[in-house]
Amino acid sequence: MNHDNHEVKKDAAPHAVCMRGITKRFPGVVALEDMSLDVRPGELHAICGENGAGKSTLVKILSGVYQPDGGTLEIGGEMVRFVCTRDAEHAGVAIIHQELALVEELSVAANVFLGREKRTALGLVDDRAMAAECAQLLESLECRIAPDVRTGNLRVGDQQLVEIAKALSLHASIVVMDEPTSALTESESARLERTIAKLLARGTTILYISHKMGEVFRLADRITVLRDGRHVRTVNRADTSPEEITGWMVGRKIADRPASAPRVRGKQLLEVRNLCLPWPEHPRGYRLSDISLSLCAGEILGVAGLMGAGRTELLETLFGAGQSNWTGDILLEGRRVRFLHPREACDRRIAMVSEDRKRLGLFPDLDVAGNVSVCSLHEALYGGLLSRSGEDALVAGSVRETGVKTPSLHAPIMGLSGGNQQKCIIGRWLLTRPDILLLDDPTRGIDVGAKAELYTLIDQLCRNGMGVILTSSELPELLSLADRIIVLAEGRLTAEFSRSEATEAKIMAAATG
Amino acid sequence: MPPHQDSFRQPFLLRRSEWALVLAIVVAVGLTALLDANHSYATRPLESLRDIARNTALLGIFALGATVVIIAGGIDLSAGSMIALSGTVCATTMLALAPVEMMGFKPVGPAVVAVACAASLLAGFLVGTLHSWLITAIRLPPFIATLATLVGLRSFARALCESATSALTPTKSALVNVADPLFKTVRDNVWIPVAMFGVLACITWLILTRTVLGRHIGALGGNEQAARLAGIRTDNVKWFAYCFGAMTAALAGLFYVANESVSAPVNQGRGHELNAIAAAVVGGCSLAGGVGTVPGTVLGAIFLRVVIDAVSKIIKTGADVYEGLIVGIVVVMAVTLGQVGQMAKGGRKLLPGSLGLCAIPTLAILSGAIVAMTAGPRAGASVAGASVVLLWLLRAWENSRTPASSM
Ligand SMILES: Nc1ncnc2c1ncn2[C@@H]1O[C@H](COP(=O)(O)OP(=O)(O)OP(=O)(O)O)[C@@H](O)[C@H]1O
Ligand SMILES: [Mg+2]
Repeated sequence: MNHDNHEVKKDAAPHAVCMRGITKRFPGVVALEDMSLDVRPGELHAICGENGAGKSTLVKILSGVYQPDGGTLEIGGEMVRFVCTRDAEHAGVAIIHQELALVEELSVAANVFLGREKRTALGLVDDRAMAAECAQLLESLECRIAPDVRTGNLRVGDQQLVEIAKALSLHASIVVMDEPTSALTESESARLERTIAKLLARGTTILYISHKMGEVFRLADRITVLRDGRHVRTVNRADTSPEEITGWMVGRKIADRPASAPRVRGKQLLEVRNLCLPWPEHPRGYRLSDISLSLCAGEILGVAGLMGAGRTELLETLFGAGQSNWTGDILLEGRRVRFLHPREACDRRIAMVSEDRKRLGLFPDLDVAGNVSVCSLHEALYGGLLSRSGEDALVAGSVRETGVKTPSLHAPIMGLSGGNQQKCIIGRWLLTRPDILLLDDPTRGIDVGAKAELYTLIDQLCRNGMGVILTSSELPELLSLADRIIVLAEGRLTAEFSRSEATEAKIMAAATG
Repeated sequence: MPPHQDSFRQPFLLRRSEWALVLAIVVAVGLTALLDANHSYATRPLESLRDIARNTALLGIFALGATVVIIAGGIDLSAGSMIALSGTVCATTMLALAPVEMMGFKPVGPAVVAVACAASLLAGFLVGTLHSWLITAIRLPPFIATLATLVGLRSFARALCESATSALTPTKSALVNVADPLFKTVRDNVWIPVAMFGVLACITWLILTRTVLGRHIGALGGNEQAARLAGIRTDNVKWFAYCFGAMTAALAGLFYVANESVSAPVNQGRGHELNAIAAAVVGGCSLAGGVGTVPGTVLGAIFLRVVIDAVSKIIKTGADVYEGLIVGIVVVMAVTLGQVGQMAKGGRKLLPGSLGLCAIPTLAILSGAIVAMTAGPRAGASVAGASVVLLWLLRAWENSRTPASSM
């Protein structure tokens, strides 16, 4: 693009962002230590690092959410000290947070303009103008979200798009994106990439955090790698490779997953016949229509589809967490079931990791141990009372198995990095030793190394006779893990592939078709 | 990182904020002992202790119920009316079973008393069930459901009292005297309500910290949707919480009847629900749910009663006039002090912008008026003046520390 321009101006123009010796401590952890970072104006600067490396902390300091314990920050050559996010917005920094921060009760448009509401000549809130501009912003992201729907009714992927629209509405000169695509599927990410290209063409500087190496290498001009709160190095994208980056991230080479022997299919665990889920208030009339599938022990069934295709609805229906007005048959080991409450599904040894960890997974007031053990507390009972040591033993095992990085089992869960919170929730459900595990985008926000470990773990559990239904926003993940893949489009099942037949192109065609 | 392991563990016995409450209680008692012109803490220590203990126990019993409801993410505004209803149910049951003895102020016998008390607790269970039904099945917000029963139950109790007295006695009446010696014994032996409070506190503590149900209560209060998806029967947990809240209020109602030897649905327990919520909040409960401890609430109740007692000892006349004011100030102070550390670190201001400017005279007028009413107009005026100066200095200091944020 206008790359050459920058090369010329590089020395003359001040850095868009210049951080020197930034340090940030939290109780029990040093999140950032002596961190320095230069971002050139107009470039897309990617930041990579493991879960808990300090990426989010870094950009939160840049956007005024946290105040650093030491070090200096310059924006456009001027020394700044942000006390709050408003300050950062005034200095031209907008951020898309990793953890979504929208007011659920408000409409999409109201969220986008929260705190900067448009006024009419009389000084009243001008809903119409806001809705119109919001529609335009969403249009530019090529998504179909009505500006007047209640934000809480949107799925997490759509909420992420609203967050992006909100940041864009600021017309900031520096846009920080903290894992903006973690809940988006390929085609929504592609739209975001087109928007990013437009922003860059306008001269906007972008800081981009992602665990998806493909994206990073498509988009970035330069890449900075963090490890354990320290700067490892900054390189030009052209001079490096994904393997090298992940190597720096973890400080060692990640072993390739050994090409494992195929898993052996066991008896049939679950069968779904002609499942329909009505949706009266929508012109389509249904969320799911005529879905049939089956799952055997020792098998991973992948569910592909775009956002809004009904992947989450399917899993929620199987788990008894959604509406119960579905028709059709769900057979568990040959017997018909209709779960009215998740408890009933748990009692039949089904577990589900939901897609939206903050809203549907985490208990913010319980510590790490409390969050992990909440579904298997009965195993820590001695004489009817909870035993602390029993619980700790239970949790310690799980934390080790899933590789959670936490200063203590009793640290507050909200202090963990996003990826580590996700691992806690997966650990919570693995502790229940389920027969059927429903995973709704389980690796959302998990780093490359941990993903590989998690895949191995899931594979291992499958070999021991568990059946897994997996959805993912990343097709490569489905392709490498699943034995069979079904594709949903607009609530209908449009294709089923075995592992050998499936390719990204075929799946995309079925998902949009 | 094992070295940090312990810093996150629950500290020994009490949390930091709870130790602070202990300290505050000691300070309040010490100040009263010094400032009270009659030196009643020194001259009649037992009597003073008995007074505070009784009041604390009565408040604490249903504050424990409020704590459980609040941790579960709800709120129960109806405790005061439940106290009135419980007393009325108890008294009218005795009236129905032993009308002659009741009217002649004679003993009705332990069996009748036991039945009457059981009836009151049953009434508590039913009210709790009604609450959770309104909240889970009709989907009313807890605030609205219990606001309805706050006004409804008191009126219901009064109607019950009047219809029962008109049916069973010669005259219709809005109160029933209770003269059974068992109730007198409870009134004259302070240790009975105190022991009841202690036992109930232990049970509540055990439930909240050491049972699966308690963990589920905290989880429900923290994130209801996540709790449901984790397989927790949230409706049942709420049912327990609201029944616990209403039944502790019913129990407190029995002690109120014993204490006052009368069941008077019009006024008994009026406004007490707010004291219970205040005790829980002073003890560290968050009204957003999920946060709170039993030791905190116990200390909160003690602190509240000690301060009320201190003011009544120091001011002498019309202490009950100031009770509401004291509770209000204590709640604000306790929650503010809980955040002081955070404020200093986050650079947050107590008196920001034009709001802070207007808050200065507001606070000065308030403090001046209170002092003027208790200690005369001269003192009031000087306190008001001093407040303005002090707050102004505080504001100036805050502004100098963090220059108006960079624009
Ligand atoms: N508010 C907080 N309180 C306590 N500790 C925190 C807080 N925020 C972050 N930390 C700690 O700081 C470290 C860095 O966290 P950060 O969120 O920056 O990681 P990250 O690189 O964004 O990870 P992820 O890829 O999982 O999002 C972690 O060890 C985390 O536990
Ligand atoms: Mg992060």
